[in-house]
Amino acid sequence: MKADAPTRALPSPDTSRTQGNGSRSIGFFLRTVSSGYLLLLVALPLSAVLWVSLQDGPGTFWEDVTHPVAWAALQLTLVISVVAMVINTLMGTLTAWVLVRYTFPGKTVLNSLVDLPFAVPTLVTGIMLVALYGPQTWIGGHLEAFGISIIFAKPGILLALLMVTYPFVVRAVQPSLEQLDRAQEEAAYTIGANRRQTFRHVVLPEILPAVISGALLTFSRCIGEFGSVVIVAGNIPGRTLTAPVYVYSQIESDLPRSAAAVSVVLLAASILLLFLSGRLQRRPGEGREKPS
Amino acid sequence: MNMDRLLFRRPRLRLCGRPLQAVSAGSLLLLLVFFAVACGTGGDGQEDTLTLAAYTTPREVYSQALIPRFQEHWRETTGRNVVFRDSYAGSGAQSRAVVGGFEADVVALSLAPDVDRIARAGLITHDWRAEAFGGMISRSVVVIAVREGNPLQIRDWDDLSRPGLKILTPDPRTSGGAMWNICALYGAALRGKVKGVAGDDPEAAANFLRQVLRNVTVMDKGARESLTNFERGIGDVALTYENEVLVARRADRPMDYVIPTSTLLIENPIAMVDVYVDRHGTRQVTEAFLDFVRSTESQLIFADFGLRPVEPTAAAQVTDRYSTPEDLWTIEYLGGWDRVIETMFAPEGLYPRLSEELLTSNEG
Repeated sequence: MKADAPTRALPSPDTSRTQGNGSRSIGFFLRTVSSGYLLLLVALPLSAVLWVSLQDGPGTFWEDVTHPVAWAALQLTLVISVVAMVINTLMGTLTAWVLVRYTFPGKTVLNSLVDLPFAVPTLVTGIMLVALYGPQTWIGGHLEAFGISIIFAKPGILLALLMVTYPFVVRAVQPSLEQLDRAQEEAAYTIGANRRQTFRHVVLPEILPAVISGALLTFSRCIGEFGSVVIVAGNIPGRTLTAPVYVYSQIESDLPRSAAAVSVVLLAASILLLFLSGRLQRRPGEGREKPS
Repeated sequence: MNMDRLLFRRPRLRLCGRPLQAVSAGSLLLLLVFFAVACGTGGDGQEDTLTLAAYTTPREVYSQALIPRFQEHWRETTGRNVVFRDSYAGSGAQSRAVVGGFEADVVALSLAPDVDRIARAGLITHDWRAEAFGGMISRSVVVIAVREGNPLQIRDWDDLSRPGLKILTPDPRTSGGAMWNICALYGAALRGKVKGVAGDDPEAAANFLRQVLRNVTVMDKGARESLTNFERGIGDVALTYENEVLVARRADRPMDYVIPTSTLLIENPIAMVDVYVDRHGTRQVTEAFLDFVRSTESQLIFADFGLRPVEPTAAAQVTDRYSTPEDLWTIEYLGGWDRVIETMFAPEGLYPRLSEELLTSNEG
């Protein structure tokens, strides 16, 4: 993968630059361990998936992916994941902003609440959503009367994805906002910039890498989400069957090749977005004097 | 070196700034877990260990009743203790786990193809269907679960094709057991037992199946989840097995059920996994366990949990609890499981074809 974006991602203390002089061997050891771990834990299984998907040649790979049910599932997953990513990027950045810039009673509680979606098994998330918004509940029943279904319909999938991935953007943006130099903003106000201009030209460029990083994680998590979606979606092909649930059903039907092929497409979508974001991030930074 | 630069490049997008200690602590923990798991195996001469891989439906039958009773029985007859490692998961998942190296001595699964998969992998070397009761351990029938008092007046299969009816069934691609439901619908139509559908006409039967599938609003991944959703108040009817309804009713969860005029006899297999049994040296205790669960006494326990016994004496004792459908047939009517999977559930089979056809009508 190309990794040529600026390394100013987050102004956090740089741990990769180990201080001291006799630390070369320690550095080598740490690098070997961590890259070996990465290789074993991530690269190897993923190459196995790729291998299985292509075991009968690219022709069958294409057939597996373009199978009407698979194709519909992929479309649904990608579209809903993009929607969830956009919503959570906006709302997550907003949450981070509020948590950093404002003091109000209950802020600490709110701050710790943000992480809860990670602590709950996603299966439970799904069950909670059904119990709350299902057609038999008070809320769900009233909405159903207006012809709006949430659970066992697309809004339910979106809701599950939003909840499961909520912490990503918040937790990515928060530290970069905290470390932002307020003096720059004050300088902007001094020379007559209004709040919007200041945010657009001073704050946003600084936190953008963090926002994008959070958004990417959100997207990747969305396209892979299974536990909560399988409960709330209803899993009807062409309507509410998402790609991860389809993958699961292919595995259960002893069709690992097709399952792997669809997974590879999901992976590719993730990597493509990572690549695009790399390009996106480079542009605003180019030629601009980095303030220090 | 180029490779080196690729691997050891500094990350471009970082999430948080304190990963090092966390990572090393995490990997240490992981190592500890590995060791704990690795050291956990092994035993001594004083006790036997039996590993059972079962599907989820008979969990209570085994864990609450049969296993404790067998432990007692084994102590009485041999003076030895038997420790059980029993695991319960979806039938297909268990079957694949055993093929993948989960060393179960006994498998009790939902349907024969899941045992056949293990046999095909060379792990079951005897003809498991030649065992007592054709290798089966319990029975049930496919039924239609309805709301208490049957407000929609569902009487038989043909009512399921009513436009607008909301049906729950597990997904046959994820729940091996859900295949029973699809086969029951299709087979009953083929036998000419569905009102308004010509018999012996595969086209008409497929058409009927399509009409029913169009009404399916939620496909859960397993039979239990499906019935749980039904209990929550979702859907009008649920396709399920008689024992699931009986268990729900016993737990005071109100619902009624309709046994269709013509329905499929569900038969659940049990088998010894020769290769693992020989590796563990547990053949004797495994065979004793299989004999035990096939005994009249154990079979009556299956009946207490809503399943129909396979053992004739036990079956005769509980006939009053179960009504016999007018037209009860087995999977052999559709040519046996191998043929059913090929013609109905394989990628080119009837079921995937129908779901594709329904794609367009499902959109929106």
